[in-house]
Amino acid sequence: MATRALAKGFLGLRLSRVVPIRFFCGGHQYATAAPVHSAQPENDIVTEKILNEPLENPDFFRVSELFSLKDLFDARVHLGHKKGCRHRLMEPYLYGCRLDQDIIDLDQTVEHLQQALNFTAHIAYRGGIILFVSRRRQFSHLVECTAKDCGEYAHARYWQGGLLTNAPVQYGPGVRLPDLIIFLSTLNNVFQQHVGIRDAAKLNIPTVGVVDSNCNPSLVTYPVPGNDDTPAAMELYCRLFKMTINRAKDKRRRMERIYSLLAPSTQSS
Amino acid sequence: MAGSRLEKFGTVFTRVRDLMRSGVIKLSEKPIWYDVYKAFPPKRTPLYVKPHTRPSTKKQETVPEIFYREDEVRVKFYEQYGPGPWPLDLFKSNFVSTCQRFVDKYSELKSQRKLDDSALFEETGKALLAEGIVLRRRGAPTVSGEPKDPVLGLKLTDMLAQQQSDSADSDKTVEHTPHTQTP
Repeated sequence: MATRALAKGFLGLRLSRVVPIRFFCGGHQYATAAPVHSAQPENDIVTEKILNEPLENPDFFRVSELFSLKDLFDARVHLGHKKGCRHRLMEPYLYGCRLDQDIIDLDQTVEHLQQALNFTAHIAYRGGIILFVSRRRQFSHLVECTAKDCGEYAHARYWQGGLLTNAPVQYGPGVRLPDLIIFLSTLNNVFQQHVGIRDAAKLNIPTVGVVDSNCNPSLVTYPVPGNDDTPAAMELYCRLFKMTINRAKDKRRRMERIYSLLAPSTQSS
Repeated sequence: MAGSRLEKFGTVFTRVRDLMRSGVIKLSEKPIWYDVYKAFPPKRTPLYVKPHTRPSTKKQETVPEIFYREDEVRVKFYEQYGPGPWPLDLFKSNFVSTCQRFVDKYSELKSQRKLDDSALFEETGKALLAEGIVLRRRGAPTVSGEPKDPVLGLKLTDMLAQQQSDSADSDKTVEHTPHTQTP
């Protein structure tokens, strides 16, 4: 399990793009191979503090400053599909229907997006693997570039059936699965729910997903009701996720530096 | 790594929590997102919802239709004038279309004077004309200032008749060739 063989980075060698493997100096606390607790108890306490401090603050990474309602409106996030395409479970997230076109309630979207970004930031802060998934061919390049820029992973190609559920067989034993999957569009090319949502729920992986008015938001852990068809809206989401992840990682590095400077003083005292 | 693949029962969080409580997942193997989810749970617990298969349930209209008071004015404007002289430029977020200007002028005049709808409609049309926007009625011929070019009104029979009469006079007058015929 400790193998850092991040084979996820080479998802479907023949299909997707190779994304750089990155290593965390902080280390993943939960992948313990040989317990070395007795040797450095202070280190553990420090890591505990680093990890638990952000949880006390409701918006530790200040993600609410990254966007405003006006930005969402300008990016046409509020535009849904036509009334006939509406999904029954999306009705609570809709503001209304203007000449048969569904309008998504941006007040709710703001809250949901804030929660989703906050969750993503915390996962990135703790060194979790994030996978961007989108089956929209129009935005596959954008999604892959976003993932590359924040040092995470993307899968914008055909999703093979056993990608998550049969990972040890497909990628070798001891593969580390993603800790968060971000769906920039929850539908696949035949307008059915993406298999990844069900698979992530099966393997107890939380998901963040942009759900349009024709999507099913029930299995997505942190749904974000919004438009997933307009290039402006997709660029906005990609930019927001990229900024949160980078912010979270910078914060982690800074916290470690602070605590490593403090540690010698605690040892001496 | 142990897990529970039942996505239709409970949420991701409840399953992991119960697995940890029963000891299947050790504390050292706790997933990264567990504490974060505990601290910041989502607005709605992500439970699986079974799809309704019975078509008999009547659909209730829970999503309201969006209509504004100005829509009545817009309907009349589009009926009478069509789409307006200039196309809508959606690239600019602060773009005001002809219809919107009409509606703004209408509401302005409505607040100032006390006239009935049709009269207000005419007044707004005149006010916009004064500002320089020419509104063309749908179906009716163009209302333009300058008179039409007389060449456009020529008919072939008239031209032939004129040519015949001219050729009859051609003996008397030398240089009276008619203008080139429009095909």
